[in-house]
Amino acid sequence: MPKRRPALPRRALLAGAAATTGLLVLPGRAPAQGGRKKLDGVTLHVTCFSHTYSEFLRSYLPEFEEATGAKVVYNTPAFPIYNQRMDIELSTRSAAHDVINVTFIYSGRWVGAGWTTPLDDFIKDPRKTPVDFEPGDFLPGTTAAFKDAEGSLHAIPWIADAQQAGATRYDLIEQAGFQQPDNFDQMPALLKALKAKGGPAPFATENHYGWQFPPYLLAFGGLIFRHAPDDLHPMLDTPEAIHAAEFFSDMLRSYGPDGILSYTYDQVAQALKDGTINYSTNNETFLVRMAESDSKVANTCALSMMPAGPAGRFPNVASHGWGMPVAARNKDASWEFITWAMSKQLLSRMFHEKGYSSVTRASMIAQPEFEKKLMINGFDGAKIYRDTLDLAGKGYTVYRTVAPYPPIDRELDNAIQTIVSQQMSAKEAMQQAQQNSLRALQRAGVKL
Amino acid sequence: MASETGLDRAAVRKTGVRGVAGRAGRGRWAREQRRALRWGLAPALSVLALATLAPAVWLIITSLTPLTPTDPGSLDFSEPWQNYQQAFSSPEFVRSVWVQVELSSVTVVLQLLIGLGIALLLDKPSKLLETIRTVFLVPMVLPPIVVAIIWKIIYTPAISPLHRLGAFLGVPFHSLITNADTAIWAIAAADTWEWFPFTMLMTLAALQMVPKEPQEAARIDGAGAVQLFWHVRLPYIRGTLVVAGLFRLIDSIKAFPLIYLLTDGGPGGATQVTNYYAFVQTFNFAYWGYGSAIAMLLVAGVFVLSLLISRAGGGMALDE
Amino acid sequence: MNSRNVRAWTRYAIAAALVIVVLSPALWLVLMSLRPNTDIMATTLAFRPTLHNYAEAWTGEFPASFGHSLSASLASTVVSLLVGVPAAYVLARWRFRGQHQVAMWILVTRMAPPIAFTIPFFLAYTWLGLMDTVAGLALIYVTFNLALVVWTMKGFFDAVPRSLEEAAWIDGASLWGAFARVALPLAAPGLAATGILCFILSWNDFFFALILTRTEAMTAPVAIVNFMQYAGFEWGKIAAGGVSVMLPVLLFTVLVRRYLVSGLTAGGVKE
Repeated sequence: MPKRRPALPRRALLAGAAATTGLLVLPGRAPAQGGRKKLDGVTLHVTCFSHTYSEFLRSYLPEFEEATGAKVVYNTPAFPIYNQRMDIELSTRSAAHDVINVTFIYSGRWVGAGWTTPLDDFIKDPRKTPVDFEPGDFLPGTTAAFKDAEGSLHAIPWIADAQQAGATRYDLIEQAGFQQPDNFDQMPALLKALKAKGGPAPFATENHYGWQFPPYLLAFGGLIFRHAPDDLHPMLDTPEAIHAAEFFSDMLRSYGPDGILSYTYDQVAQALKDGTINYSTNNETFLVRMAESDSKVANTCALSMMPAGPAGRFPNVASHGWGMPVAARNKDASWEFITWAMSKQLLSRMFHEKGYSSVTRASMIAQPEFEKKLMINGFDGAKIYRDTLDLAGKGYTVYRTVAPYPPIDRELDNAIQTIVSQQMSAKEAMQQAQQNSLRALQRAGVKL
Repeated sequence: MASETGLDRAAVRKTGVRGVAGRAGRGRWAREQRRALRWGLAPALSVLALATLAPAVWLIITSLTPLTPTDPGSLDFSEPWQNYQQAFSSPEFVRSVWVQVELSSVTVVLQLLIGLGIALLLDKPSKLLETIRTVFLVPMVLPPIVVAIIWKIIYTPAISPLHRLGAFLGVPFHSLITNADTAIWAIAAADTWEWFPFTMLMTLAALQMVPKEPQEAARIDGAGAVQLFWHVRLPYIRGTLVVAGLFRLIDSIKAFPLIYLLTDGGPGGATQVTNYYAFVQTFNFAYWGYGSAIAMLLVAGVFVLSLLISRAGGGMALDE
Repeated sequence: MNSRNVRAWTRYAIAAALVIVVLSPALWLVLMSLRPNTDIMATTLAFRPTLHNYAEAWTGEFPASFGHSLSASLASTVVSLLVGVPAAYVLARWRFRGQHQVAMWILVTRMAPPIAFTIPFFLAYTWLGLMDTVAGLALIYVTFNLALVVWTMKGFFDAVPRSLEEAAWIDGASLWGAFARVALPLAAPGLAATGILCFILSWNDFFFALILTRTEAMTAPVAIVNFMQYAGFEWGKIAAGGVSVMLPVLLFTVLVRRYLVSGLTAGGVKE
């Protein structure tokens, strides 16, 4: 029986108030002498792609400016635009930005090419890093992508974008006699039943298939590379890969809304809140928005783990983090910003005041409030999140962080689009993806 | 100074310059004139040289290397033709050329037919028709990104008035831009909406220059409207139609905002024209060398087409 | 007599119908911009118009982006005219060897796909510090407007009879003196039209602004795309932004309607 979401507990409100007061004096630092603030006259250029997190952070920027005297110029373009621009900017050693987001899928490339600043010296310096910052508090699974060959950390993760599953209309699912699928085997029957009933489109996910398809691929026993990061021979045309592609495409084509191939992540997020789509394997950040106050489906939504297949369960977890370009001019100021943005206090406030739950600090995830907040209609969102992070910690997501992955990502996008739009069979499409990937790797200078 | 405007042909043959005053190559005044003229041309030529020759040189050089910013050693000329070889052996590139040909031919034909049709409709002296003509200019002057937004709304089933209209009239249809068979046509329709005013205006101007006597004569002889058009007016405007078509053909190669917003080259590459393919390779994957090679091929194609325009209609502009 | 009237009115009726069909996509955008966000997905025609979307759109970076568009377009127009008009005069009045080649060169620069220019310009601008500046944008707009200016103004100068300038020369005027006092005033309407055309084309650019600007110089067309973000595809705001960006252009179009075609076919056909 769906439960009502708990109202914001008073304890949380008080905790928030205390944190605010605490923040006015930046933790671990004495207030500046003589009225002069620490970063007076400094302008920081900070950029990240547009996301709930980056929008939430925007609302807290005036506090940072007030406390440090700095001016923050904050820019949040859309995801593909951000990545294109940052790639060009970093590759030309530009100092245009002081603090940047290191995108997961580009982390291997940017960190590997030496375009970002190693942070270990900053972390170890007690004058620059407050004691309660606790860098060890960040889950190892989320920092792994930002370590270079020597093991130095290049970014502090602000999100663990975990893939799971959700539904906007669990009431319809129950009426049809089903539950949230735990296994991919269970999906077709459920979706078919939902379709027969009418109502919202039974299934949808965003059209970044290079990201949404691998859980299916790996679960059916397929692989992207033979053994990333050492052996990058692509494995996209194995029978398992073809079967997975066929299954995934079939779900999209048969049970997706009209025009499913053009659904970008923001459109899917909106459709979830509007209840025009039902079951979705998607990012946790979008799925939890179903429970927001302005969502039409707050009382009927459900959460569950990414389904498993014959070879196991393989939800992706992507972490994006704050870093600095290697040419940044005022690295101390940049680090000041990063330690503020990723401080326990600010993250805690963001969680309580804004509901941001894709956190990377182990201490936060362990808090009972975290569990309570993510208990949605009786579904234990916190447990799903923790279990997903644990799974991803096993390391199968390393394929995403190898430097030549982006073209392969696009090949997967293409292959699924081709199959869904019935231009080719799954076999032909995946074979084409395999050939194109080999060519792309050759172009990138990879020895196979 | 003589005020004759005749030409001193002997002097022309000698110096190759026909001075503005009609006197060729002789006299201090003529020399001063030529110097003054050079100063007038110089700023423009230097700006163009800087802004176009320098990039062209960069393009040519990098197209011979596998240049990519992640690999410091990639400015390497050891295999100069590798990018071109890769392009021609890449099914994606070859397909993009076919997609380009398809999109370009469809849009040019549609724009010519519709432009011609509307021009014929409006070709009567009338204040009302003149105002209508101005209104028809709207699609062409809108910022192309706004055109793309307008058509994204029309092609997104959830909010599209067109889809609702179809359902209302009993002919519901599915999303056009995610269907490989209709995606190109959808883009072509949006592109035609945007650019038909161009061919319309050119054709209208040409129609108004068709001499009256042959039309009158044909009418007196009892020719119907269709015959009048086919046998009398069409021969006069054919040249303009060709030039308009060639201009649209060249511009269609540059098509970007529509594809960027509506399909991202999809589904599965069905609307990925060569220009877009080059964009993805250059800006998503930073294959600068490879992207330069494809850009070179595009520029070569544009060059050939520009030559055709120059022959077909520009000859008039240059040799009066 | 009657059948001719019928034909005339049929013509008007068809033309009017076509106007509605052709304008309706643009009109729909305007409608969407005035629609309250709660029923943004609806396609009914009856709703209470609201300016809320415009209020939302005209916040943050959007007003500044309009300013950048304005500056970049104005600057590039002025420079293009300053550099291009004299060159147009020279090409109109002077026959010289290589004239055809220069013409071809100008034509190709007009027609070449922007992607051919972007990386070299990007690298050059980064090195020169012109990245994300209005000046940088204006410069690149000059390069594609220059050909337009040269070709359109050449046509206008061709139409000015030489005899008037020759009379001025006989009276002792220098070449450029006669140009300024005789040819230029006569070609003034063309000058205005060409300037407005340059402005429109600069204002409408998307690709170069996308690649060569970030925050300091972002132009209006790029700012709209930024609305299409995470927050759930705010169609009303996007529509309001789109309508705002297209209004200046529509205004200018009315002013220069006669000269639009000659400008757009610059280098091809003499009007």
